[in-house]
Amino acid sequence: MKIWSTEHVFSYPWETVIKAAMRKYPNPMNPNVVGVDVLDRSLDAEGRLHSHRLLSTEWGLPGIVRAILGTNHTQTYVQEHSIVDPEKKKMELCSTNITLTNLISVDERLLYRPHPDNPDLTILTQEAIITVKGLSLGSYLEGMMAMRMSANAIKGWDAIEWIIKNSERENVPLCDIY
Amino acid sequence: MNSVGEACTDMKREYDQCFNRWFAENFLKGDQGGDPCTESFKRYQRCVQTAIKEKDIPVDGVEFMGPNKDKPES
Repeated sequence: MKIWSTEHVFSYPWETVIKAAMRKYPNPMNPNVVGVDVLDRSLDAEGRLHSHRLLSTEWGLPGIVRAILGTNHTQTYVQEHSIVDPEKKKMELCSTNITLTNLISVDERLLYRPHPDNPDLTILTQEAIITVKGLSLGSYLEGMMAMRMSANAIKGWDAIEWIIKNSERENVPLCDIY
Repeated sequence: MNSVGEACTDMKREYDQCFNRWFAENFLKGDQGGDPCTESFKRYQRCVQTAIKEKDIPVDGVEFMGPNKDKPES
């Protein structure tokens, strides 16, 4: 089992960041995510928005790798549950893979909150538990996965910033001569 | 962005547009009344649930019937 965690600060207020987080895909930094679907969405008694989503990822695994993994499928799937609390200004996402589960388990948690020292900034805490099952190289592979997650986390932050910047451009009028 | 079910992509986009607008303009501003997206969500959901069953995606809470139930996880 490998536990990995990181923190990142966005130079945007919380509302801006989570609007982007809700619309994160597609983006150029995460081309492997090829499908996103909402399975369920509801408000709870405390006014928090719960969303259950299914993400499809395509890694382009070569045929021989797929044969070793024992799968004919080229896509892997992740299930995600998110909770947005607009009063407390917290957005929490928890996700886990639902395919290849006999080989590996990746449980990830993300939490977006306003920065405690500056409300114009947002802090993201991200952590994951990675468990490779049934292989003697387990801890080595877990280490590799953790490194991969660090690289992907950085892409994820860039993706949020990209979404924010592209949304900002939409709001700028072309001419201000009126 | 596509849906996991190819036939559902247009319905997904219609729902997403409705939701993103409601999320930004209503929900985050403290107005939780009247979800304008229920109809488009129902249409979209019917399609997605069918696609999930057809593709045998092991989603929590989706019932699977038939001979594939016990096959090894992929």
